[in-house]
Amino acid sequence: MESNSNNKSIIVTRNVKKWFGDFQALDGISMDIKEKEVIVICGPSGSGKSTFIRCINRLEEHQEGDIIVDGIELTNDLKNIDAIRSEVGMVFQSFNLFPHLTVIQNITLAPIWVRKKTRTDAEAKATELLERVGIPEQAEKFPGQLSGGQQQRVAIARALAMEPKIMLFDEPTSALDPEMIKEVLDVMKELAQSGMTMIVVTHEMGFAKEVCDRVMFFDEGKLVEENNPEDFFNNPKSDRTKLFLSQIL
Amino acid sequence: MRLIKNTQLRWVRDNLFSSMGSTILSLITGYMTIVAYRGTVGFILSPMRQWSAITYNMQLYMIFNYMEEESWRAWASVGVAFVLAGITLGYWNTGEKKSFNQIAGGLFKTFSTLSLLVLFSPSETEIMNNDGSRAMVEVISSNQRINFLIPIAVVALLSFLLSRYSITRVFNKTKVLLFYLGLPVALGWIIKIPTITFDAAGARIKPDLFLPVATTTTIPWTILYGALWASFFVGQFLQKKEIKSLKRTIPLSWLVLPLYLFSWLYKKPVIELNKVLMNDIPGFLIFSLIGFLIIRYITDEKFSKYRNYLATGFFLATAAILFLRIPFLIKVLTFSVVLLLLVAPSLANSKEGKRQLLIVWLVAIAVLTFLLRGSGSPTGIITPTGSFLGGFSLTWVLAIFGTYVSFPFGVLLALGRTSSLPLIRIICTGVIEIVRSVPYITWLFFASVMLTVFMPEGIEFNLIIRVLIVTAFFSGAYFAENIRGGLQSISKGQYEAANAIGMNPFQRIFLIILPQALRAVVPTLVGSVITAFKDSSLVAIIGLFDVLRIGSAVIPTQSNPVNFVGTQLDNILFIAIFYWIFCFTFSRRTMKIEKKLGLGER
Repeated sequence: MESNSNNKSIIVTRNVKKWFGDFQALDGISMDIKEKEVIVICGPSGSGKSTFIRCINRLEEHQEGDIIVDGIELTNDLKNIDAIRSEVGMVFQSFNLFPHLTVIQNITLAPIWVRKKTRTDAEAKATELLERVGIPEQAEKFPGQLSGGQQQRVAIARALAMEPKIMLFDEPTSALDPEMIKEVLDVMKELAQSGMTMIVVTHEMGFAKEVCDRVMFFDEGKLVEENNPEDFFNNPKSDRTKLFLSQIL
Repeated sequence: MRLIKNTQLRWVRDNLFSSMGSTILSLITGYMTIVAYRGTVGFILSPMRQWSAITYNMQLYMIFNYMEEESWRAWASVGVAFVLAGITLGYWNTGEKKSFNQIAGGLFKTFSTLSLLVLFSPSETEIMNNDGSRAMVEVISSNQRINFLIPIAVVALLSFLLSRYSITRVFNKTKVLLFYLGLPVALGWIIKIPTITFDAAGARIKPDLFLPVATTTTIPWTILYGALWASFFVGQFLQKKEIKSLKRTIPLSWLVLPLYLFSWLYKKPVIELNKVLMNDIPGFLIFSLIGFLIIRYITDEKFSKYRNYLATGFFLATAAILFLRIPFLIKVLTFSVVLLLLVAPSLANSKEGKRQLLIVWLVAIAVLTFLLRGSGSPTGIITPTGSFLGGFSLTWVLAIFGTYVSFPFGVLLALGRTSSLPLIRIICTGVIEIVRSVPYITWLFFASVMLTVFMPEGIEFNLIIRVLIVTAFFSGAYFAENIRGGLQSISKGQYEAANAIGMNPFQRIFLIILPQALRAVVPTLVGSVITAFKDSSLVAIIGLFDVLRIGSAVIPTQSNPVNFVGTQLDNILFIAIFYWIFCFTFSRRTMKIEKKLGLGER
């Protein structure tokens, strides 16, 4: 954690606000995330944590404030959005694999069409990634033929195939059976150890304790507490955090 | 009950006679089926019928009054389609096998059913005499019945024994299919169709004289069948050679083929050489050069800055020259450049991609030049009624070509209607709703009477082409609504996933959304195609001669050289069977394709 403080900031947000109609989803979120940092975002449902990370790659549009990813400011300029999206990988709660394509096609699609790689290069890289997430034998199957845990690992491989600098995880284990959660978390741990910058929205407190550098606690669209995991779990600063922790631990 | 060991008998017991109620229902429906069957056979074999009206007029049914000396064009079109079908079957032969026992089992099913049909067929039927009294006449004598029954039963028995006998030999499934297709061709050589002729007073004489029509088509069909086999082997050879480029060329050929064959049937262009030399060849060269430059430099950093300005410029140029007296071809080509500028950046991303796109561009502008020059020049094919096609060939052209044009059009309309750009959405919604709220027949009258007014100067289309244009709009709008249903069934997550991996809207639609949406609506699309096929018979109303009009109005009024007055029933039954065979085969085939496509779903 000490070593990280020397790195430069890769994601900077300043006073980000967002409304869905009358409902304010984000209320002035400001944070600095350094390279190679692993951030866990937690909080009760409806607290704006998913909305926040979806703003980082413009799946949702923020209405006020600035988001700067790797020196590029996120505005309505489509070029900036494309540039940021190709550097930020995202893993969804419901996997969102493409059901009409095989596993290997799912992974190679973006490298071939967006990164303009040749098919052979993309396939070699995809095979390598499938080995990394532990399912090289499933390459020719369709997503519908895999278990939830395997599908989520394919989704991670698909995001990694674009060689992103940052990975966003939007509740990656919430739709999984308890037995499958571990296999996905193992892949994420390995990824964190390899030095990837990660923002993880999750309720897996074990993962937070073990892997992450900082925990951010959201409530009602506000960033209530930002702390290192040790202090966060043992002596949290705010009362709201204490209440939350007492309910889930 | 233990006595019933045979699985077929057990099936009968479990499904037809499982309870008191189902036994009664089975007996009633069985009785009704037999009555209906006997009635139909009696109708078909009755001496009142005059099936020679169909065999004699087969040419009328097939190509109507297309000129006799040009009828080789129709044969050649079918031939080209056969050759391409053969190559496709050979190249995409999956090597699926059918065992000897399976084939014998299939034969047993067919022939045991046939023997039941012969057994239950009626021996006499009712006819009406000239004075209105009714009488029974014999249609199948007991000798005839036995003569039919014995060979059929023998084949059924033999195939039953063979299906039980363990023979390990397997056959290629496609080859078996091709072999079965040969049976009707072989029948053409074996069976001569007995027809009835008439004396001067109109009375029937010589009940089994052979009219030539059935035999003259035997030779061309045999040649076509041979070509099918030959091209099948060529396709297999190409598959073994692993020529990968065919994987794209064959589907593309199927897309281009109807257009090509249609223009072949439609035109024997009288092309003026000086116009070709002065206009077409220079135009082709200039536009190939423009295309080459765009494809070569499109991915260049400096160039991509100006791409949007260039596309806008060309678009405005198209809009401007729309009102000038410039050849229609130039307008079309300028607009194609706009399309190329929009499409090229995402397709010409590698050297290979650039090469392929260039080939597509050259082929496209060559075809456009050829078609537009052809359609502008006078034709050498002149038919008495002005409509150059009729009968089955008209039905086929309307069905196939209508689908080919309206399907992509429907896809575009559906995408437009779900677009986030308000102007496009409003226009597409407007087109769909206007087209769907007016009956097809009204559109057909529009095609026959009004459409000429809206055409650019100097271009005058044949009635059939005008019908095709309104059909494209009409079935396009219905396709669009079906496809829109498919688009709505795609979850928001798929859009988000495509966005998150950095795809542009074009890639997102064509790689992720459309393939899934179309798969979801295959059953309804098949329904639309079948509807379009059957609706094509409505063109009779605006004066085209489709099968229905030939069968109900043309043939029953013939009295010279042979008297066919009053044969409506025979003709209409034949037409109904024709429609049924094609619609049934089509829906059966696509059910199999649906199953294959379903593999990726879940």
